[in-house]
Amino acid sequence: MRLEKCWFCSSTIYPGHGIQFVRNDAKIFRFCRSKCHKNFKMKRNPRKVKWTKAYRQLHGKDMTKDTTFEFERKRNRPERYDRNLTEQTLKAIPLITKIRHDRLEKHISNRQKPGKRKEMEKDSKELDQDIGMLPKKLISNELAAEKTKVKVKVVQQQTEDNAMEE
Amino acid sequence: MASRVKFENSCEVGVFARLTNAYCLVPDGASEGFYSVLEGELAGAVTVVRTSVAGTRIVGRLCVGNKRGLLLPHTATDQEIQHLRNSLPDEVVVKCVDERLSALGNCIACNDHVALTHPDLDKETEEVISDVLGVEVFRQTIAGNILVGSYCTFTNKGGLVHPQTSVEDLDELSTLLQVPMVAGTVNRGSEVVSAGMAVNDWTAFCGSDTTATEVSVVESVFRLRDPRPGAGALGSDVKNSMVQDFFTS
Repeated sequence: MRLEKCWFCSSTIYPGHGIQFVRNDAKIFRFCRSKCHKNFKMKRNPRKVKWTKAYRQLHGKDMTKDTTFEFERKRNRPERYDRNLTEQTLKAIPLITKIRHDRLEKHISNRQKPGKRKEMEKDSKELDQDIGMLPKKLISNELAAEKTKVKVKVVQQQTEDNAMEE
Repeated sequence: MASRVKFENSCEVGVFARLTNAYCLVPDGASEGFYSVLEGELAGAVTVVRTSVAGTRIVGRLCVGNKRGLLLPHTATDQEIQHLRNSLPDEVVVKCVDERLSALGNCIACNDHVALTHPDLDKETEEVISDVLGVEVFRQTIAGNILVGSYCTFTNKGGLVHPQTSVEDLDELSTLLQVPMVAGTVNRGSEVVSAGMAVNDWTAFCGSDTTATEVSVVESVFRLRDPRPGAGALGSDVKNSMVQDFFTS
């Protein structure tokens, strides 16, 4: 049993899923679900279809060059079975997946950071320049709130003194 | 010594077994009669490994190798490759070849020094062959047939080819491979000589249908008989005269 990659979207194909197509030149195409298979039959290029890994890596949306990818490269020369090696490999696999996932998340958040900052700058500029564009209701409420804060002088004490004098 | 043997009622022994000087690959599931003949002849000299290649039993036609290495098609599963790597001695390099023509046993014929290949083989595959097996690679056809691995079989001592190979081609091959070559048949006139027999430097296994004449031709060209004084000289004369008598018609 071997977990293959879908030719179209590059997701893993688990046993019992998908379709394999063998072309006349003996090249094998594996698809994870009928969505990818139908897209292939329509002769769509995965590099132009936005949701595929091929597109995302080509356009820099996802991480391409990383040392964690080297662990999964296909090796054509097998190693003799060694129990320790196999045990260590099995322990290392979840660690490597986690690291790769974290690095991918970092890559995406780094990609979105300059956009976030630009958005905040734009917002503050808008507040300075275009405050008049806000609807009057919102502004009047603000001014009313300011007015209530004004101090009122008490006049009652003087009349009391006059009354006492008489 | 050439023995006659059957694999599950089929005389095409070369389809099911791959025999070299360092190892022998056989498929699983046959009757113990076949295995006992093989292991009886090969004893401790050669590791006999029971395996399947790409889930099939036609091990002899899918893989190719010599004492230095073994080449498997890309269709071989990971478990089979691992099994072979564990069972074969360390000197033998096991390698998978990414090749459109995946029946390597039909496309490549080799001994420890030279290999003949299908003329349409990829350049990278040729490099892999020369690297892993440590041989010189020649692209050839045998009697107009491109499947050199099926129609020609040779070891370090001698070689057998398709019966309709012309004398000039035969001489050319002999000089190329530096071993005496003979055009002959196996299994009562079957032209597919490599599929009908499994041979290495000191033993040969032919299908049970092989006639006594064919067996004697095989034994003489591959030098399988017990060495006797003067036998070497006899063998080289016999090659030209005896076989041409039988097959020129």
